[in-house]
Order: sequence, then structure tokens, then C-alpha cells
Amino acid sequence: MTAKPFIVALVGNPNAGKSTLFNALSGLRQHVGNYPGVTVELKKGSTTIGGRPVELIDLPGTYSLAARSPDEMVAVDLLLGRCPEEPRPDVILAIVDASNLERHLYLTTQLMELGTPVVLAVNMVDVAKKQGIAVDVEKLSQSAGLPVVAIQANTGAGLDKLKAALAEAAGQKSPTLAVLPPVIHTEADALHQTYNGDLPPFLARRLLLDVGGYAEKWLTEKHGPSLKATLDSARQRLIDAGHPIPAAEAKARYGWIRQVAATAVTKPSVRAVTATDKLDKVLTHKVWGTLIFLAVMFFVFQAIFVAADVPMGWIDDATGWVAGGVESAMSAGPLRSLLADGVVKGVGGVIKFLPQILFLFGFIAVLEDCGYMARAAFLMDKVMSRCGLNGKSFIPLLSSVACAIPGIMATRVIENRRDRFATILVAPLMSCSARLPVYSLLIAAFLTKDRPFWLPGLMLFAMYLIGFVVAPLVALLLKRTLLRGDTPVFVMELPQYKRPSLRLIVRRMIEAGWAFVRRAGTIILASMVLIWALLYFPHTDAAGQKYEDRIAEVSEQAEKAAVEEEKEKLEQQANEIRGEWKRNSLLGQAGLAMEPAFRPLGWDWQIGVAVLASFPAREVIVGTLSILYDEGDADDEKQERLQNKIASRWADDPVRSKYGVPVALSVMVFFALCCQCASTLAVIRRETRSWWWPAFTFVYMTALAYVAALVVFQVGRVIVDALG
Amino acid sequence: MLMPLDMLRAGEHGEVAEVSGDPAWVHRLAELGLREGSRLCVVQPGTPCLLQVANGRLCLRGSECSQILVRPVCGT
Repeated sequence: MTAKPFIVALVGNPNAGKSTLFNALSGLRQHVGNYPGVTVELKKGSTTIGGRPVELIDLPGTYSLAARSPDEMVAVDLLLGRCPEEPRPDVILAIVDASNLERHLYLTTQLMELGTPVVLAVNMVDVAKKQGIAVDVEKLSQSAGLPVVAIQANTGAGLDKLKAALAEAAGQKSPTLAVLPPVIHTEADALHQTYNGDLPPFLARRLLLDVGGYAEKWLTEKHGPSLKATLDSARQRLIDAGHPIPAAEAKARYGWIRQVAATAVTKPSVRAVTATDKLDKVLTHKVWGTLIFLAVMFFVFQAIFVAADVPMGWIDDATGWVAGGVESAMSAGPLRSLLADGVVKGVGGVIKFLPQILFLFGFIAVLEDCGYMARAAFLMDKVMSRCGLNGKSFIPLLSSVACAIPGIMATRVIENRRDRFATILVAPLMSCSARLPVYSLLIAAFLTKDRPFWLPGLMLFAMYLIGFVVAPLVALLLKRTLLRGDTPVFVMELPQYKRPSLRLIVRRMIEAGWAFVRRAGTIILASMVLIWALLYFPHTDAAGQKYEDRIAEVSEQAEKAAVEEEKEKLEQQANEIRGEWKRNSLLGQAGLAMEPAFRPLGWDWQIGVAVLASFPAREVIVGTLSILYDEGDADDEKQERLQNKIASRWADDPVRSKYGVPVALSVMVFFALCCQCASTLAVIRRETRSWWWPAFTFVYMTALAYVAALVVFQVGRVIVDALG
Repeated sequence: MLMPLDMLRAGEHGEVAEVSGDPAWVHRLAELGLREGSRLCVVQPGTPCLLQVANGRLCLRGSECSQILVRPVCGT
């Protein structure tokens, strides 16, 4: 046996169980490949079959090889060996769902025309069996002319057989399938001759068959209107021959599939009522379904808040312990302050939210994997269509709840440019996971103590609801003004419900958690160091005396003070020096200068500074606040938690003690609506290929956030006054 | 008797007689199994509507349903 790896490309319809099979085959040996110019990610993994190394490539789920966008074209190019970075696959592994075999085989017939050996994996045989659908693998293999293996990707049944079939197929002759009418082949061959060099035979057929498809768009750019004339006359000849496009392809392929399936598949004469049917009766119901959807969302957010509390406390304690260690090991000075306040407390304050991120992504993965997410999109389509978007915009918007960056990247599935841009521009309004720290900090500080137990969860839900309400409204406005146009067509598949795969969920959580930690270690760390420096310098007062020396001196006196009153007075003095230092720092001066702008929102200069500092990355506010409110921490035996610190600081202030809740709400609403994320703006620039759109997004979101925060505080103030 | 798909009620079955409209869209629907001659059952009418096609479920907007002509058949 040779040691040269062979390459297997995994292709299938969405919901055929592709990711589960990929994970089962490659285990932990996976990485993600990115391609220039497109946003699809190709997952790659490796395994060995009979001692021979195998490289697996997981292509994005697709119903057909009729590419309509650059992203769909990547899969076709890769399968044809037209990607410069990737060698042509040796074997194509086509995965199909046994319970809906005919539909899934459509793609398989296209794969069989690529000139590469194909192995067919029939997945979810047991689910099909429960519905009375039996697939005879032997007969299917004979009639289709392919190696066919029955598998159960979630339990791993049949995988050994599948591996053996893959090894055997590598290097074998590819199937020769000619299901399309000969006249289509003749016309496609003519196109292949005309545009030789650009078009392998497979793409020549796609050019002919896909009206307005990617091959047509791309070649029109290259060859101009002459191509259009050639294509039109070729398509007219097909109509004259009785094979009108696009019906001809579907007719030919389904005709072949019907023949193949006739011998191999036995189905009950009456379709059995499945669990999916029963569940959908309730879950897609206009009233009950919507109520359940809202209840599920509320449960998810409440669970995030309650269950993550314990591990968050641990991380908090660990941060305090490390910071304490740094402080006692080093002598006072800029470096100690940088390490303890800037690095440890700043980054620790952000890492603390890792448990919540993990819970959120875990829930999203469960909802997606069990099939509920598509129902949510179905329920939401009516709302989405009212604002000129469609259900396809719902998934990008919903993923923006995790993070706007993958959400914006996911808009590539939207074919209509105006819809896509509208979705991109409103995606950052959805409450991403980076806003979670801000919400939970302020909710914990002001809305937990002596309040009903359901209030924090409800509040968090309400904050997320702001995004869900405002984003469609802004989209509607955009579609009526800047992005006017027709409402495009919309069709979506709802997969069968299934038990979610634990492995898949854990993997998603790890990926998300790692991305968050990496972000905390780079952009947030850099911002924290910069903010620390802006708050540390200048570290001498008007008289040229160092603040650190003054604080040390006063603290020392306080230690020695015999009388309790004297001691308290000196400690008070030390705190005043700390406050003076922060006010005189570069960032403090900027904040004080801008205070008139913050005052109508109910903010003091400290909140203003923290908000300003969090424009590159919104999580930074947590660390900044913990530095800003860190006065007087030295004499506390116990490390106070930040939320208590904020609550007690605000209690000392005349405005914020009375209007604590309106101020907290004003800050939260500002964060809910403001685009404080440099990475998001960079992604918008990349996706829209213009600086205009990210600039527009930044300006409109900042203005919206300011006005909304203003309204919230002013209205809140009136309510508080009215209540007494 | 032919009628637009959106006139079928919940639980009613039909056989697709004609799909018209933008060719790219007609092609996409055919890939999803919704084409001339295929049987379907309306699970939930309205906008969007929910259809059972073969052993899969599709969600479609009402305005698009009116571009699909069906021949009502007895549910079997």
C-alpha cells in the first residue's frame, strides 16, 4: 500500500446529515480552510483507511450543482479541480437521506457526471424504516451503477463498510451517466468547442441549462453580448426539439431516478404520519407555534443568566487572586499597574463571560441541529416579508445574536443584492454575545437585589428583543429609501426533527469559546492596554508630585492611625487622590470635556469615558469600568464584585442614586443599538466592497443609539419622579 | 380543473400541473422536487405556506404559490 493520501469530497443536500458524518469520519483532526473572494468555509479533516491516509473535504450543503452565486461556484470548481489551492478530489462521497431518497438523488445524478468516482452513502436508514420506507442497497447499487452503503451517521453504523467502499473506489473508473437528452449534450459540446479553455464539458452544460446562473454571468462579463446571442439560439433549438429549459433537466433526472428507485425502494401506499408531522402541527401553528417560540427564547436567555452564574463567580475569584498575586509580587509603579489593572483585570473582566458564551452557542447549536431553527424562520417569514426581507435573512440575523461577523458573512446565501445589503446593514443591531457582558453586569447591579426572580431573565430577553424589533424596522426604512426594489421569491426546506448530536454541539461550543478567548487575547487586550495608559498618564499632579507616592503616603498614615475616625478620614483622602488622578488623566480630561453631551443621557464622565473607550470593541466597557470604579479597593479585605462596586459608586451620586435604573437602562439601550465593533465594520467593508456602507452603518447606529438612550433616560426620569 | 396552489386548503392534496415565473426560480423549485407531475399536500395554507412534497417539507410565500397551478386530487 502507498502512503500517498487520497482526497474525498463530502457532498449532500442540507440536512442530509453531512456534518455528523464528517465528524464521525474525521474525529478531532479538523481545520477550516478559507478561500479568497468567497465567504464559504470548507472544513477539512483527515483519517486513515487501511493504513492509507485520507483527506476529507466537507463542502457546503447544496441541492444542486447549478451554481447561482460565487459561493455555490466554489463547490463546483473544487469538484472539477479548478481551485488552484486544492487538488481535484479522488472520490466523491455523496450522502443522501433514505426517507427522502428521490429528492436527494437529484444532486447525485449531477455528481455522477463530473468524471470522478462516486460512493453513495444512504443515511438515516432506521428513521426511514420507522416510516415504512425500505431501501435495498444491493439493488440500488446495481440499478444506479454505483457503490452504495447504508449508514447511520449518528451512531456510526456502517462506517467501516463505507470506508472500505471509499478505498476501493479511489483510482477506479468514474461512472458514465448520460441521463440528459442527447440534444442537450450536442448543444453543450458546441458551447464547449466555442469557449474552449474556459469551459470543461460539465460547465458547458451548466451554462446552457442554468438561465441567469453563475456560469452565464461570469462568461457574459468575459465575452460580452455575443455569448447571450449564442446561448439564446441554443436554448431556442432545445425548445424546438421539445426539451424546454429549465424543465428538461428536472424531467430527465427525475425520470432516471424514478427508474432506479422503482426496484430498490419500497414505500407504504399511504405515507405514515411521522413525529415531525405531529410536532409541526403545534410548532408551526400561527398562535401556539409563535407562543412556543417566544417561550423557548425566554427559557434560553433565563437559563444563560442563571446557569452561568456559578462558573462566572469562579473566574471572577481567579482574576482577583491573580491580580492580588501580581500586586504583592511587584513594587508599585507603572508596570505593576499595567499588569494588574490593565491586563489581568481588564482581560479577566471579559473572559468572565466565557460561560455565558458557551451556553448561548450550545443552545443555538441544539436548536439548529434538532431542526427547530427552520421552523423559527418559517414563523418569522411573515414578519420579515413585511419589512421587505425574507426568511433567508432570518438565519443571518439570528446568527448575529451570537456575533454579527458570521451573520454578515452568512448573507451570501441571499441572491438579491438589495436584500443582502439591507440584511448586512441591520445585522449589527442584533444583540451579539459581546453585548451580553454589558447587559448582565448592569442587570446584576440594578435589577437583581430585592426584585422578583424572573426580572433579570425578562430584562435580558427585552434587551435582545430591542434588536429583533429595531433591525426589521431599519431594514424596512432602507428598503423604502436607499435600497428600493421588488420583493424576491422565497422557498425554504424544513428538515425532519431529530435528536441533536452531542458531539456536534460540544464542537460548536468549543469553536465559539475559542474564538471569544482569542478575541479577548488580541483586540481586547490591546484596547485595554491603551485605555490603561490613557487613564494612567499623566501620573503627576500640578505640583509635579506622583499620585502613587501621595496615595502610598496617605495609606501608610492610615495604617498607623490609632483612632478609628482618623483612619477613616485618611482613607477618604486616599480615595480623593485616586479620583483626582483619574479625572486628570488623558481619557478623564476627554470625558470631562464631553460631559455636556453625556448629561442628557444620565451618564457621568466615567460612564462616558467607558463608552468612548469601547468603540473598538464593546466588551472593553467592562474592563474600563472596573479600572474606573476601582478606587478604594485596597482597603477591602474581600475583592468586591464589579456589579456591587458600580451599585455603590452610583449610590454616592445624587443623579445616579435616584435614577439608577433609568441610567442603567440608558447605557444598555445605547449598547444595544450602537456599532461598537471595529471587526464588524471591517467585514461590512469587505462584503459590500465599499467604504461608504460601513461609514453609513457606523453613523446611523451611533445616532440611533444616542437618541434612544436619551429617550430612555428622560422617560425613565419622569416615571421615577412620578412614583415618588 | 386547475387552480392556483394558494387556493388549496389545509390537508388537501394536489398534483402540480404547471410552474411558471422566473426560469431560475422554476429551476430551483424543480431541484427541490416541486415540478410538473409531483404530488403535494398543503400542511398549512397562508403566507408563507407549508407544503409536504414527497417526504420533505417546503415553505413557500403565498405570492409564489399563485404561480403554481395544481389539479386537486383525493388524499391517498
